[in-house]
Amino acid sequence: MLMDVDFDDDTPNRCTTLVYYAWKIFTCLFLHVLLVTMVVLYCLLGAFAFERLESANEIEVKNSIRVMRMNVTTDLWKYTKNSLVLQQDNFTTNVTARLQKFEDDLIYAIKRKGWDGEEDTKIQQWTFTGALFYSIIVITTIGYGHIAPKTLNGKIATIFYAIVGIPLMLLCLSNIGDIMAHSFRFLYWKVCCYTCTRRQRRVQSLRRSRSQRSTTRSHGGSRTTSLKRTGRISQRSADSALGMSDCYTRSSYSDTECRYYDKMEREYAMFGGGMPVKAPNRYSQQSRYSDTVPLRRHSPAIKPRSTSQNSGHRNNANHYYHGRYRVQDPSYSDGDQLDGPELQQVPSILFNKYALDREESRRIHPKQGHEIRRNIRGHSAAPNLATETPSGTLRTNGRSKTPQHLVVDMLPMDHPDQDYYPKPKFRSRHRNSNQSRSREEFLGGSGCGGGGGGKGKRLEVMAPSPRIMSPLGFAVNRQYPRRSTRYSDYYDDTEPCEFDDNNPDHIKPVPIWLCVLLVVSYIIMGAFLFKSWENWEFPDSAYFCFITLTTIGFGDFVPAQRVMNKGDDTKLRIWFCSLYLLFGIALLAMSFNLVQEEVISNVKTVARHLGIIKDEDEEESE
Amino acid sequence: MERKRSGRRYYNKRKKTWTQQCKDYLRQFIAFLFSNIGIICLVVGYTIAGAFMFIFIEGAPGNAIAVIDRVGANRSGTADRIWDMVCCNAYCEDEWKREVQVHLRSFQSHVIEAVRNFSYEGPNKQMTRWSFSGSFLYSLSVITTIGYGNVTPRTLLGKLATILYAIVGMPLFLLYLSNIGDILAKSFKWIYAKCCLCRNCKKRRKRMLAIQRKEQWKMDMRDFKLNTGVLTEGEESDDEGTTDGSSSLSFNDTQEVTVPISLCLTIMVGYISGGAILFSKWESWEFFDGSYFCFISLSTIGFGDFVPGNSITGSGTSIGTGTYTGIGTGPGNRTSAGTVIELSFILCSMYLMLGMALIAMCFNLMQQDVVMKIRTCTDIVRRIGRCKN
Repeated sequence: MLMDVDFDDDTPNRCTTLVYYAWKIFTCLFLHVLLVTMVVLYCLLGAFAFERLESANEIEVKNSIRVMRMNVTTDLWKYTKNSLVLQQDNFTTNVTARLQKFEDDLIYAIKRKGWDGEEDTKIQQWTFTGALFYSIIVITTIGYGHIAPKTLNGKIATIFYAIVGIPLMLLCLSNIGDIMAHSFRFLYWKVCCYTCTRRQRRVQSLRRSRSQRSTTRSHGGSRTTSLKRTGRISQRSADSALGMSDCYTRSSYSDTECRYYDKMEREYAMFGGGMPVKAPNRYSQQSRYSDTVPLRRHSPAIKPRSTSQNSGHRNNANHYYHGRYRVQDPSYSDGDQLDGPELQQVPSILFNKYALDREESRRIHPKQGHEIRRNIRGHSAAPNLATETPSGTLRTNGRSKTPQHLVVDMLPMDHPDQDYYPKPKFRSRHRNSNQSRSREEFLGGSGCGGGGGGKGKRLEVMAPSPRIMSPLGFAVNRQYPRRSTRYSDYYDDTEPCEFDDNNPDHIKPVPIWLCVLLVVSYIIMGAFLFKSWENWEFPDSAYFCFITLTTIGFGDFVPAQRVMNKGDDTKLRIWFCSLYLLFGIALLAMSFNLVQEEVISNVKTVARHLGIIKDEDEEESE
Repeated sequence: MERKRSGRRYYNKRKKTWTQQCKDYLRQFIAFLFSNIGIICLVVGYTIAGAFMFIFIEGAPGNAIAVIDRVGANRSGTADRIWDMVCCNAYCEDEWKREVQVHLRSFQSHVIEAVRNFSYEGPNKQMTRWSFSGSFLYSLSVITTIGYGNVTPRTLLGKLATILYAIVGMPLFLLYLSNIGDILAKSFKWIYAKCCLCRNCKKRRKRMLAIQRKEQWKMDMRDFKLNTGVLTEGEESDDEGTTDGSSSLSFNDTQEVTVPISLCLTIMVGYISGGAILFSKWESWEFFDGSYFCFISLSTIGFGDFVPGNSITGSGTSIGTGTYTGIGTGPGNRTSAGTVIELSFILCSMYLMLGMALIAMCFNLMQQDVVMKIRTCTDIVRRIGRCKN
């Protein structure tokens, strides 16, 4: 029967993997190249359309101004001619009145007919460049209003253009912002923090080898970077995997969870280090709540919904775990990973290392309390991990140096981590693909083996958290913490990229101040540029940059407006300004992307401390 | 022994949950109410505070009056020059007209400059620019990022204040939107589920049946696993997961219904056309102009070519006819017009705040629907793929 399940399991895997890769390539192509091309083409199309629609009207308005002035002149001439006696008071009063009317007409022409104050019909606002600028202004929702459509057709065209264009632009910007966020994060951690990470790694490997011989807590805590982890490093291999899985389920609160795992880890170290009397209790306690947020752990009452979700995860994991686990047995009859611990009866300290083997040994030595505790922990703390790791083993035959921690840990005792540890920081790409693939396999497998597990997941999916257009004009691209991992890869291609960055072990949060600094410096840079280009005051141009990048777009300062006479220069300026604002909005999207989780969790923590939010209702505070 | 303990713990937790559920629900409800009513109050209060702040900073009428005086001086100066011309050589029509054209042109450029740089809107308009409702609308247009631009800060302090105000205000408004949008979406979905229950009855029953069947199958699987002795640990958590899952199923039942996209679109179009009718009445715009204004505002583009309260200057013809009757009737007109403008500002603000929340709701619902559809599509694709093999 087990073979049967295995067979059922394996065949869809190949198919789905194929589909998955095809989809992946397609989305990559679609989103990164096609999307930008589409936006550019759309802008060009809009430019053509609006030029055609509006330029005739503009010329008409310009001509009408001349006619208006001629009318004033004629009126005055007639008045002068017709009045028999010319008195200065009378005359000036009437002329002033006429001039007042002329003035009102002028204002009306400016405000309503979109007259730009120029009478020369050769200098137009609705040139191709101007219309292009207008299209960009519309679809980024900046809306300066310095040129606005005045004909009925133009207005209708604008509405439909915006309906299609704004979502397109949002999609493109959030995409670009995503890519930029990734590359920036990568850059930041690879280049800026290269030295510190390298030193860290050296320390890690040193400590790891030591900790394999004896487990002491004394040298924990030296690696307290962004994660504030203090624990034995040898445990981190397993624990980070747990943390990773946790991030799958609730990716947004990884910071606090890190702290939590930290605690767990420490206890774990104690446990491994020969205090098995204390450890069982703690473990049984912690494992119970291990996929809830740490703060929630202390709250007496847990919101029923979240409880159900968490247990749903657990449930799912268990189901799947067992399903896979049984599947795994026959497929590797050579079974090093099975036989090793089973035969050797490895002492409990060493068992710490063999995170996956706990499953095997649990079955075989179910009385061994230590192992059981590990199992409990594995079950509850790592719902998704459990789904992934075995499948990873399945594919990679269990002993290749896959980035899956547990897989590596499972290898026989000749210091298996050493292959793994020298590169723990920047494995994200590799690991990402692996994870998604293993998840993919899970998708295939769950239909047959762990079909029951799907239900809990499905329920969680019911309420995707509400994301709307942010005032900054791009979609707030939050990862939904409770989204089913089963489906995510199919329709949300940004997600796999998000996951690897949220691993607690590898979460590389770019500090908020850096992002703020980046944006501020971009604004200041723009201010200097516009100051020299437009001869604005420095505060004015900084104000302009801010108003533009936040897509408020008052339109009291618009580039290339006052110097319309200079032909080519104007065009260049408009192009430059378009580039500046497009890149700036993408930059804002990027920094938003980088800091949002951290900011939200910080705000939440503050709110919790103040007692505004209770521990349970996180949804409300979002 | 370990297993027993864990089981008891689960039991304890559950018991606690059940006994405190009532209290919990109450507390949750209060928190819910507070967080939502609170955020509305917060946004409104922030906007009002912003309005007062901008009145304080920008409200000094000196600047506006100076501009008006300057334009008036230029106007009378032009008239004087024309009078001089009449005195000197008023006899050759072409030449006279050419001369007058030159004067008019200079006057015109002066007016244009005043309009552009100092947002001069005519001699009767200075009162409404930084009135309370005007600055209220300004604050709202800043934090919603609409940015009409009909009223803009002129002083350095005002610009700085705008930047700081926007930095704080925009996240606040975003919070408001996502909160209110969420609530609206939930309540709308509930209403939709209640109203369209009969229509959806069949589908829902089918879905429930499928879920039950799946559960049954799952139970069978677990029994089987237990029999084969594989499932020893994690049994309790399994059970809990199942029961909780089913309870949350019934809880989520109304929320499970997805509102079709067409309905969302209808709501949005209806809201925009309702606003168009409203504004065409208030501002005597044409219907299409009203809907154009509503669209541009709600999509936060905010050109500012149509802004509520501009109708007085907007209809240039009425001023044109009224000019000869003199400026003496000004103040009376001004006050009545002022109240109308105030009212329409307030109306517009309310319309915008509600409308953006409604749009957020529609986006929320549409997103859910689209996600649901994609999910079923992928399900189908996967099933097909599996069948092939």
